[in-house]
Amino acid sequence: MYRRALSWLLRQTLRLDVYINKVYPTDWNPLYYTGGLTNLFLLVLVVSGILLLFYYVASLDGAFASVAYLTERVPYGGLFRGIHRYAADAFIVAVLLHLFRNWFTDRYLFSRDGPWISGMFLLILGGFIGVNGYQLVWDQRAQAITAIFVSMLYAIPLAGPPLAQLFLGGVGINDAMLPRILFLHVGLASFLYVLLWWHYVRVRHPKIWPPATWVLATLGGIILLAAVIPVTSGTPAQPGLKVFSYPLDVFFLLPFWLTNWLPAGIVFAALAALGVLGYVIPYVSRESEPAMGVRHSGVAQVIDGNCTGCELCYYDCPYDAIVMVPSPHAGLTKAAANRKLLAAVMDSRCVECGICIGACPFEALELPKFLEADIKQHVAQVVTA
Amino acid sequence: MLKIIGFICDWAVSTEGLTDGQGRLLAHPSVSIVRIPCSGFIRSDWLEDALRAGVDGAFVTGCPYGDCLNREGNYLMRDRVEQLERRLQRRRVDPQRVAMLAHGLHDRQAFLGDVEAFLRRLAALPAQSAPAARPSAPKVSASREEVPQ
Repeated sequence: MYRRALSWLLRQTLRLDVYINKVYPTDWNPLYYTGGLTNLFLLVLVVSGILLLFYYVASLDGAFASVAYLTERVPYGGLFRGIHRYAADAFIVAVLLHLFRNWFTDRYLFSRDGPWISGMFLLILGGFIGVNGYQLVWDQRAQAITAIFVSMLYAIPLAGPPLAQLFLGGVGINDAMLPRILFLHVGLASFLYVLLWWHYVRVRHPKIWPPATWVLATLGGIILLAAVIPVTSGTPAQPGLKVFSYPLDVFFLLPFWLTNWLPAGIVFAALAALGVLGYVIPYVSRESEPAMGVRHSGVAQVIDGNCTGCELCYYDCPYDAIVMVPSPHAGLTKAAANRKLLAAVMDSRCVECGICIGACPFEALELPKFLEADIKQHVAQVVTA
Repeated sequence: MLKIIGFICDWAVSTEGLTDGQGRLLAHPSVSIVRIPCSGFIRSDWLEDALRAGVDGAFVTGCPYGDCLNREGNYLMRDRVEQLERRLQRRRVDPQRVAMLAHGLHDRQAFLGDVEAFLRRLAALPAQSAPAARPSAPKVSASREEVPQ
């Protein structure tokens, strides 16, 4: 069931590409750059966020007024606020596209679970930071989602009440809260870059930046949107007021919307379950091993006697799975006789793609289940047919 | 009849329903298809060896550029085929006998069109003269002891 659904989703995802590729040259397809676009939006968020930070006052009395001052009095302040908001929306959209595309196109197999797991952390923290951003404005919407968030925390057995106290800086909403939220908003955003290091660490030449056309187009779109539809605050928060309706942001606040019908604890549990399922995805194999066929040809093996230590496979491996080690002994062939280095495949990083085999001019690498001899046999069959 | 071998990345264009039991294209029985894990798996020497063994043409098909499952496989293969073409020219083998294609899962029609164009290109070439033996490295029968340390 899961496998069939995913195969269907794979076909549909790639069908979408067919149409987009009719409009753009294939390597401009924006869906090939969801990760790069996310990175671009994150940088826009950091830069615009630093500008906003200079004017923000993290206190219950001052927050709303400082945001209003920034929006109305500071030259282009409203524009920067709009850029920050719309870039955040674009960020979460790009993240979700990135997640679904890589899920549906199988880009998590074998040792590629590292980028997937770090990506889940990035997604969860990114969403949390987004919600924090809405709280910082401290209008009535912020008041409402803070109340809901605190009730979600309280629903966690045992750890809940202390966590809520940590978050609020005391019992109930008080002046210690907004500095904490500001710290979470900025500190966790900085931490995203640590997670991004993990996200990229096993990836050689990651595509972390979209083509210039898309950088300019998306930046232009965000600035235009910020100018045409300015971002505004709601009514200022009033202590003790119960807020029942507020403008909804579909990109970050959907879980809060669900609390209209479900208790906060259930929504939180559902979110947690979704998160856990997300982490499990790379370990739920889509196909049985035999059904994977040539896609599962075994970890590349170095043929010691033939390796000349030329490093070509090391440069071409897209996953940094090949390391060059000092050669413990000479190779057997003439070309390998005076080698200084020897290639070694790190099993835990290999995704069995075979790119190193194509890179090696010395017949020193093989995929165990798809040998050079098999290729020769295919060729011989074609010649004799 | 021409003898053509085509290596196709398993993630790239689907040949389901396009081939017979032996992997030959139904539309062009002279073309035999071999599915491979990634277009970058192909060593360019294999293409050259195939040509020397008597195959009339060899091509590799990867995913659309930018969409390689391994990010770089098809770009790397494109570069390798370009290098191979220059090498073949030096060795007096017509470089038009090798080709690099890039087609996604659903691009069967475009793929068949490209194969047809490749076939026309091959048909227009003069018959392959018996290729000179590849200048091969002297055979080494050395056991490890004889290798200079």
